[in-house]
Amino acid sequence: MINFFRRILTEFKEYVLFVSLSIISFFILSLNEKPAIKKLRTFAFGNFALVNQVANYPLSIFKYDYSLRELEKENAKLMLEVNRLRKLSVENENLRSMLQFRDTCNFPLISADVISKLVNKMQGNFVINRGSNEGITIGMPVLNSKGLIGIVIDTTKDFSLVRTLYNVNLNVAVRIERLNIDGVLSWDGNKLIIKNIPSTYDVRIGDRVVTSDFSTIFPPKISIGIISEREQVPVGLLHNLTVKPFADINTVDNVFVLKIVPSKQINHLEMNLLKK
Amino acid sequence: MLWNFVKPILIFIPLAVIQLVVLPLFSIDGISPNLIVILICYFTLKFGQMYGTFLGFVLGLLLDLISGGLIGSFMFSFTVTGFLAGYFFNENKIEINVATYVFLIVVSLCGIVSSFLYTLISSPYDRLNILSLILEAGILPGLYTAFFALPIVIFSSKRELG
Repeated sequence: MINFFRRILTEFKEYVLFVSLSIISFFILSLNEKPAIKKLRTFAFGNFALVNQVANYPLSIFKYDYSLRELEKENAKLMLEVNRLRKLSVENENLRSMLQFRDTCNFPLISADVISKLVNKMQGNFVINRGSNEGITIGMPVLNSKGLIGIVIDTTKDFSLVRTLYNVNLNVAVRIERLNIDGVLSWDGNKLIIKNIPSTYDVRIGDRVVTSDFSTIFPPKISIGIISEREQVPVGLLHNLTVKPFADINTVDNVFVLKIVPSKQINHLEMNLLKK
Repeated sequence: MLWNFVKPILIFIPLAVIQLVVLPLFSIDGISPNLIVILICYFTLKFGQMYGTFLGFVLGLLLDLISGGLIGSFMFSFTVTGFLAGYFFNENKIEINVATYVFLIVVSLCGIVSSFLYTLISSPYDRLNILSLILEAGILPGLYTAFFALPIVIFSSKRELG
């Protein structure tokens, strides 16, 4: 018997090694949500991000140069918008003080640079150069001037790991603004879709999609994108809508982390959506 | 023998930095080449199948850890890459295999299989479309990876001729 196994091991050693390593890989794959594995990943990406940051520095010179014109244009637009809103803001504050409302829309933003990306059709992740030292915690939304980009899923002292909208494991509660229809936005590997919306609703191409009031991970009314395609279903009551995001997630270099601390209990429930 | 394992790991570090920092700039519609696949193929064709399988496993684990992705996904796909590339190992044709078009074929094949498996593992089952998976997550990244292996073939063949 021992000789038989010895012969198998000698003759098929390549296959034995391959099968053993594959089994170990799948075993580790199943342990991804275990705290020990998470700790190991946090330690590894946090330390390697230092190397990435150094390598990213020469490249960032070209990146900033590229986005400068866009930023100037955006500043000009915002300046005009601010002028218009200033008057309304004063009026709003007066009315709020009369009704004794609290200011609920003052979210601090932390600016950050993207220092490394994992480009993949299914698993959109990137690392930013701000971490728990700046007060970033898991679950904080990440956005840029155009709209929502993703969510922080892991942090070290100086770096954070962000799961983007282009990740099959991120589902976001959204609302089609014009009709107040809620749905769940997810990435299917090619496009962002809102699944199972009744085909009787008058959804139009170009309708704005924002984060829903039902989500406590994301504050409501953060712009995400517009409806770019409506699935044609000859039979059936439900159809899927394709969303084109405002932010160009694949090429984004500078982002903001929205420093909000959501309700722990609700957040715990919603964070389950992030898990596979 | 130990140096044979240390060497690819030392090369892996700058390659991983390029993979995560520079190559996103070269990505086309979310399709990006994988330099680590080229590294695994190169060393497997030099040192054999068992070596390649184990090297794929180790480098896959390292890339999973530093990229923040699902731990085990690159690990498995690179293990298969090393195993598959090992079938092209020939002790008598080592220099020919890494310095000619054979290397490009091996990298293309391994790149296709590796990328396909990685995407298959990291996707929820209800969102899989097998045809688009083969084309967009298999063939295109595989061929793009092979394109990046071209300098190795040119450099190695020049050295051989010299």
